[in-house]
Amino acid sequence: MSLTATSFDWVRDLVRKESAIVLQPGKEYLVEARLLPMARQMGLTDVTKLVETVRVRPDADNTRRIVEALTTNETSWFRDGDPFTALTSTVLPSLLSARGANERLQIWSAASSSGQEPYTIAMLLDDALPNATSRVSITATDLSREMVQRTRAGRFSQLEVNRGLPAPMLVRHFTRAGNEWEVSANLRRMVNASECNLAAPLPRMGPFDVVYLRNVLIYFDLPTKQSILRRVRDLMRPDGWLFLGAAETTLGVDDSWERVVIGRSSAYRPLKGA
Amino acid sequence: MRALVIDDSRAMRRIVSGILIGLGYEVRDAGHGREGLDVLDEGWKPHLLCVDWNMPVMDGLQFVSAVRSNPAWRSVTIMMVTSESEHTQIVRALAAGAHEYVIKPFTADAIRDKLALLGLLPEEVPAGVPVPLRSSEQEVAL
Amino acid sequence: MTTMDTGERRRSSDVRPVITDLIDGATVLSIAEEAWIALVGEDEILVPIPGEPPVDIVSSWVDIVGPWTGSVVLTTGRGTAEELSRALLREAAPEVLEHEDVEDAFGEIANVVGGNVKAALPGPSGLSLPQVGNAPVVRNPVDVCRVDVVWRGEPVSISVQGALPPLPVPSPTRENEVPL
Ligand SMILES: C[S@@+](CC[C@H](N)C(=O)[O-])C[C@H]1O[C@@H](n2cnc3c(N)ncnc32)[C@H](O)[C@@H]1O
Repeated sequence: MSLTATSFDWVRDLVRKESAIVLQPGKEYLVEARLLPMARQMGLTDVTKLVETVRVRPDADNTRRIVEALTTNETSWFRDGDPFTALTSTVLPSLLSARGANERLQIWSAASSSGQEPYTIAMLLDDALPNATSRVSITATDLSREMVQRTRAGRFSQLEVNRGLPAPMLVRHFTRAGNEWEVSANLRRMVNASECNLAAPLPRMGPFDVVYLRNVLIYFDLPTKQSILRRVRDLMRPDGWLFLGAAETTLGVDDSWERVVIGRSSAYRPLKGA
Repeated sequence: MRALVIDDSRAMRRIVSGILIGLGYEVRDAGHGREGLDVLDEGWKPHLLCVDWNMPVMDGLQFVSAVRSNPAWRSVTIMMVTSESEHTQIVRALAAGAHEYVIKPFTADAIRDKLALLGLLPEEVPAGVPVPLRSSEQEVAL
Repeated sequence: MTTMDTGERRRSSDVRPVITDLIDGATVLSIAEEAWIALVGEDEILVPIPGEPPVDIVSSWVDIVGPWTGSVVLTTGRGTAEELSRALLREAAPEVLEHEDVEDAFGEIANVVGGNVKAALPGPSGLSLPQVGNAPVVRNPVDVCRVDVVWRGEPVSISVQGALPPLPVPSPTRENEVPL
């Protein structure tokens, strides 16, 4: 049986409540495709049965799995290139001159998926700074528990290392672990991964010098984008830098940011007094 | 832009060539390193060499060394495309003068990502193909 | 004491590893799955169950020579090998697949799976060019790691098998003693 309208609405409401992700009408096929494996695993024939089961007996674990199954975790190394080039060309030199030699730089990858983004940052900083391990801390957070565990493990499949990771960096920072590649202990020490829902009050963290909030605002409605940008700003240093995805901007969403063009990409900085 | 694809498997040559042509490359191919050198000797000047490792007659590593020892070919970019994926072997290929390394199996995205890293994505898409928006130019729906 | 210790150590390092000490079925399966997803198609699923083996089968394989020596062998029905080749070539597939096209494509899949199996084993090792035909015989039944899957309803097996016969079992007492 294909997904009923009531089941789709129930999933939509649940996902919206738990993650703020907006599933547009017409995304029934997506819900079915993403939830069918879970239904099968529970010995159920289709997604409507899965929805009925979880509705009748709500269970924190199953609800979480449904929400996680509907997140899109697509990511790659050095995604779009420019926001990472900007880190070493402009942001890092400016931060180093503004901060004391012993001050720790704090960087946040706020929707880190399986870890390619925080480890991209870690590799760049490790190459750029002689004492990166003690000088930098990278906080990686994601809504999805599975993604946080993957980031923590720092293991990537052959297909994943093929996506945008320069070969010299692969051989320098990774070793083979069976069929996978494992990021070096050194870089894993720089990255702390934890679960965090951006659409809920944020835990006490930071203050951050640089925030990568990339390819996640696209899933939210305008009020959610606004409140997330406000909360992120509260966790940033006044002279910090924010990077968004290529299809995302603060313009027309939250006017308390200044857009700075760096090469072919843009960063956003908290406006003074806003 | 021009690319020379060197692989002993003609299926693999077709796959890699297909991806490159889709990205706007003009492509020629060769079945092993010796044949690859012959194409270069003709004076055809590719920007990119996609090279398999294990091949008869002359393998990929020997081919890379041969290309690197000839100053006339200094500016060409070499990308290994091979199932040879031991850590030490990748190091050897880079040391011999390859710039990039794609491990088989790969997807078309992987080739495109690597070419972007190398600055070798043709800007112009061949006529007749609709020009896709670069992701940075996409409109934002607010 | 010292002499005895050295002797023991030398003897234990003389023991050749068998493949099951080095890789497990789950790793071989994940290698094959990645190869299928990338080369054959994004939605191509390998179901890890043994299927009814067809009569007319063909194998493709590559040899690995190194700390462990053996072959990575793909075996399936001739029809399935052809379908696999067609899927691999996708739009690039010619109207009529020549016999050589199938050998080439089916061999290339063995090369991709074999190269990745090799990288998961202790190295360095060499990899041969792919061959297609009747699979090499199993020399040592304990030196085999075999995974059976079903692809598009047809059975395919992936066997990582040693090329060397088992070592003679040393007698538990004095090895060099000639029986009277
Ligand atoms: C498309 S990925 C982006 C990964 C990475 N930032 C990049 O640009 O490649 C989106 C990630 O956002 C996470 N996500 C979705 N909703 C979230 C929320 N409410 N709070 C935190 N993370 C969320 C998803 O789990 C997913 O891993």
